[in-house]
Amino acid sequence: MLQNKLIIFFLVWAFSTHAHEMTPAYPIVKPSHVTGVVKVDLSLFNSREEIKYYEIGLFDLNWDSIPFSATYRIIKVAYQTRKNFSVYIRKSDMDEATYVCTTSKVKKQLESKTLVSSRICSRLDGMPA
Amino acid sequence: MKYSLAILSLCALPAYADVDITGNVEAKCVIQTTKSGVYGNPIASKLSTTPADGGVLPVIRFDVALANYYTANITHPTSFSSSPALSDTVAWTGSTSVTQTSDAGMSGYDAAKVVYDNTTVFDLTVAGSTWFSTASSATYAASKPFVGGVYTAIVQASCVAK
Repeated sequence: MLQNKLIIFFLVWAFSTHAHEMTPAYPIVKPSHVTGVVKVDLSLFNSREEIKYYEIGLFDLNWDSIPFSATYRIIKVAYQTRKNFSVYIRKSDMDEATYVCTTSKVKKQLESKTLVSSRICSRLDGMPA
Repeated sequence: MKYSLAILSLCALPAYADVDITGNVEAKCVIQTTKSGVYGNPIASKLSTTPADGGVLPVIRFDVALANYYTANITHPTSFSSSPALSDTVAWTGSTSVTQTSDAGMSGYDAAKVVYDNTTVFDLTVAGSTWFSTASSATYAASKPFVGGVYTAIVQASCVAK
C-alpha cells in the first residue's frame, strides 16, 4: 500500500510541469487600427507555478531593443492559464524588428540558489528557408 | 393520412452530423524548469552548484514540436541577482551540457554546441525533449570568505526561433 502511494507520489512529482510556452514561432504581421503601426498576436501559456509575471521585449538581430507598444509590457499570467496579447510595432521599425520575446520574472528567494529565467522568442522575419 | 405518416416517420429518424476534429502541429517550444539549482558552500570563498561541492545543478528541459526551428541559448550567471553587500570582486565560471534526451538523434548536441561569452547555444535539430544542466561557480576574490547571507543568481534559458 505504502509502495503504491510512493509510486503515485513519484509519478506526480516526475510529471509535474513548470513550463513556459509561447506561440506562434513565426507570427503573422497584420495591420492595426493605427496608421503606420502593425501588430502581431501572440499567446502565452504559464505552467510555472512560481512565476506570475512575464515581460515582453522586441529586439533586432543583434538583440538591441526596439520600441513597441502593448497593453502591458509586463503581463500577469496566472498558473496554468493562457494569455493572448498583441504587440504593436511601427512600420518603419519592421525592417529591423526580428525577435519578439517573453521573459519570466523571477522573485527574490530566501535561500542560496540559482533561479531559472525562461525566455521564448518568436521570429518576425519569417520562417527559415 | 399516408403522407402524414411518411412525414412523421422522417421526423422520427435520428439526425446525423459529421463533426470534424482538426489538429495543428506547429513549430513550438516549451521550456520546463525541471529543477532549480542550489549553491553549495564547500569552502568559505566558494559557492558552487556542482554536486561534489554540495550543490544541486539546475536542470532545464526544452521541448520542441518540430525539428530545426529553434535554438536553445542557455546563459550561466556572471553576477548575483541578490546577495549581501560585497566589497571585492567575484570570479565566475560556468558551463552547460546535455544530460538527457528523448531521441538518439540528439546525441550530437553537446559536441555541436557553440559557446560564446557565458552563453551556450544548442541547435535543436530533432523534435522532442532535451534536458540541460548548468554548472555555476563563484569564487570570492583572493580566497576571502563570502559574507554570510543569501546568494541568488539567475540562469537564463532562451528558446529562440531560427
